Amino acid sequence: MELHSSFACQLDPLKILLNVEICEAGKHICLNTIKCEDDVPSSQEGAGEAGAEDRVDVRYLQWLNGRLRLQWCALHAQHQEQCKLLHKIHLFTSGSHMDQNLGHFSVTEADLTRQPENYKQLFQLLESETLQLEAFLEWKQLEPVYWQWMETVLDNMAEEGNMCESQDAHLEKRRLPEASSCCPWAERLAGQMDRASRELLALQEQLQQLVAQRKAAWWEKVAAAEELQKERFSATAGKIQESVELKLRALPCLRAPKNKMHGSCRLVLRSRHPGRQRGTAGRVPKQAVPAVGAAEVMRELQGREASLQAELQQLREQCRRRLQAIAEGWEGVICISP
Amino acid sequence: MSIVTVQLGQCGNQIGHEVFSALCSDIRGTHGLCSKKENESYQDSCKERFFCEDESGVPVARAVLVDMEPKVISQTLSMAARSGHWKYSSHSHFCQKQGSGNNWANGYSVHGPRHKEAIMDLVQKEAEKCDRLGGFFTIMSMAGGTGSGLGAFVTQCLRDAFPTSFMLNHVVWPYGTGEVIVQNYNSVLTLSHLYHSSDALLVHENDVIHKICAQLMNIKQISFRDVNQVIAHQLGSVFQPTHTAGGGSGYSRNPLGDLMETLVPHPEFRMLGLRNIPQMPESSLPYSTFSWPGLLKHLRQMLIANAQMEEGIDWQVRPPHPGSSIPSTNKALHFNTSIANLVILRGKDVHGVDLGSFQDPSLYTSWLNPQDAFNAWKTPRAFNKYEKSAALVSNSQFLLKPLDSIVGKAWNMFASKAYLHQYTKFGIQEEDFLDCFTTLEQVISSYTNL
Repeated sequence: MELHSSFACQLDPLKILLNVEICEAGKHICLNTIKCEDDVPSSQEGAGEAGAEDRVDVRYLQWLNGRLRLQWCALHAQHQEQCKLLHKIHLFTSGSHMDQNLGHFSVTEADLTRQPENYKQLFQLLESETLQLEAFLEWKQLEPVYWQWMETVLDNMAEEGNMCESQDAHLEKRRLPEASSCCPWAERLAGQMDRASRELLALQEQLQQLVAQRKAAWWEKVAAAEELQKERFSATAGKIQESVELKLRALPCLRAPKNKMHGSCRLVLRSRHPGRQRGTAGRVPKQAVPAVGAAEVMRELQGREASLQAELQQLREQCRRRLQAIAEGWEGVICISP
Repeated sequence: MSIVTVQLGQCGNQIGHEVFSALCSDIRGTHGLCSKKENESYQDSCKERFFCEDESGVPVARAVLVDMEPKVISQTLSMAARSGHWKYSSHSHFCQKQGSGNNWANGYSVHGPRHKEAIMDLVQKEAEKCDRLGGFFTIMSMAGGTGSGLGAFVTQCLRDAFPTSFMLNHVVWPYGTGEVIVQNYNSVLTLSHLYHSSDALLVHENDVIHKICAQLMNIKQISFRDVNQVIAHQLGSVFQPTHTAGGGSGYSRNPLGDLMETLVPHPEFRMLGLRNIPQMPESSLPYSTFSWPGLLKHLRQMLIANAQMEEGIDWQVRPPHPGSSIPSTNKALHFNTSIANLVILRGKDVHGVDLGSFQDPSLYTSWLNPQDAFNAWKTPRAFNKYEKSAALVSNSQFLLKPLDSIVGKAWNMFASKAYLHQYTKFGIQEEDFLDCFTTLEQVISSYTNL
């Protein structure tokens, strides 16, 4: 139980909840599927193995590269089709939505009008999602109480572990006086439980010791490595960390769920002349919903594209210079760059 | 998903008309030999690919017609409309009054830039009508002025305007003893320019189709219409819907993309040849039966021996012995090495067909294994009244000899500077010619060293 709750602390459950594909909500609350990545990757051995057998004809690599490019073109066409159809749906259902701010149906809503039976599925998903969120809220309120209780339990167990065994027997009898009178097997059960809890404590201590040893060894290793390349290591690690974070921040919505009936944001079609929208005249405007305009998004994406292009050019220049340097080292080889 | 066809020049427009005719008559036919559901799915897929709906209900071809003379386009438009089963849109054509005089430079440097906006406007409109643009299919001949010169220019513009779209150029190789003196110049210029902008060049040689008409179709007085109809039949057998190997249960929604990916990912190797079996006069069809093993055996030998039709195949040609590592110069003479092959099967009992003979590694070049190099598409729906038919689209040494011959002839003319002034006066200089020769020599060398 303690392990589970400490896990729950380290990983933000709300994030996990919302990241999870809605359809799989039921089995994902079980945190058994989350792996602890403490293992040091031992990939250094395999690197130097490329021998003569692994030489590949460059034409085959060009073939593969071409296939990749063509698949990307197909993906592009598919994406454009999706945008076109999305636009059609928004256009054709404009004016039909109850919420005048939105004005048109989303894809899910349009699909529901054609296949009304699916509303049951959507309702179930929404219900389970609501239950999860409610449970999380409740947990958040009770969380401090839980930790207090946990601390007292741990303290108690530490104390009990220090007392001698004879007193355990006393405690057993004292703790469950009624049990022996009511049912004879209850006493045996209570004894087994106590034994089990003692064994668990002992195992936990051993585990803690092992963990402490491993951690100490690891930190020794890290300290030694850092000694060797103190500045360079931390600097490059820091740089890598930064750039990875930047890139990850720039790719927020890659986790497109497969059968999603509704997503994390809603696409709304706005006409360029809002004055012409019918039906808004007599209505009280609802509270402002946070929204992002298409022009803004486009500008941001263009900026990002420009910076990535510049980065690509830079990397290409580096590769070219490296290739030239390598080629100059070989006799009789002329390197013609494209 | 939809393909936009661009018909360029006299040849392009005439062939284009025959292609749409063949496609339309195939889907309207009752010879499908498959379940009703399959037939309907096939019809819907074909209609989405090549036609769009009109208020009158008559399918409108997704095509743009371009020519520098008005005669052929107006004939094409009226023939289509007269059929009553399909038509061209009345707005999708562009023509002028002057013609190009069989001068590539005139088509490329003069007509091209002058009319670029109008032509690209038409193409853009057609492209916007598609829910999903599956790519462009351009039809042209290499020998003349409009199809070749203007065609090369338009292909370049298409590539600039649609950088991620698939582009398949259908190129008609002129008769060896053709009437246009400078056809070899025009051909060399066209091929080298197309190689840079297009994804794949699908070639039909007039001489070959002429032989098919004479020997297989038993036509006495062969007209261009007959030749074009055979070409249209062969193209239809490639473009009609099929189920691709990896795809789901429906017809492929990305035919051009699938074709490109299986055959021409490598930028040096873009020339595709097409073979079709069986070919016979329509009157003989009811009296003929076919078996898949027989058809495939012939098709395979046609591939290996570089035969152009199912008659007169040289059965002596065999693939080289698999055990020996033979450099290309020692390979069995006349053996046609392939880079990649695509076999398309249509008709009865198509699912149990054994295609193992096409996956023999000795057929292919050493750097590509048969799993990557060979693909098969199938459909149980029969095509154009043939109970069973097979088409082979091959990226192989099929066109090595014809290409070498054309480049050789053009070079001889160029060395003696014959007729060059006709090109230089429109801005195509000798350096441009030299660049084109270099490109094609590179292609010839790549294909020779398979």
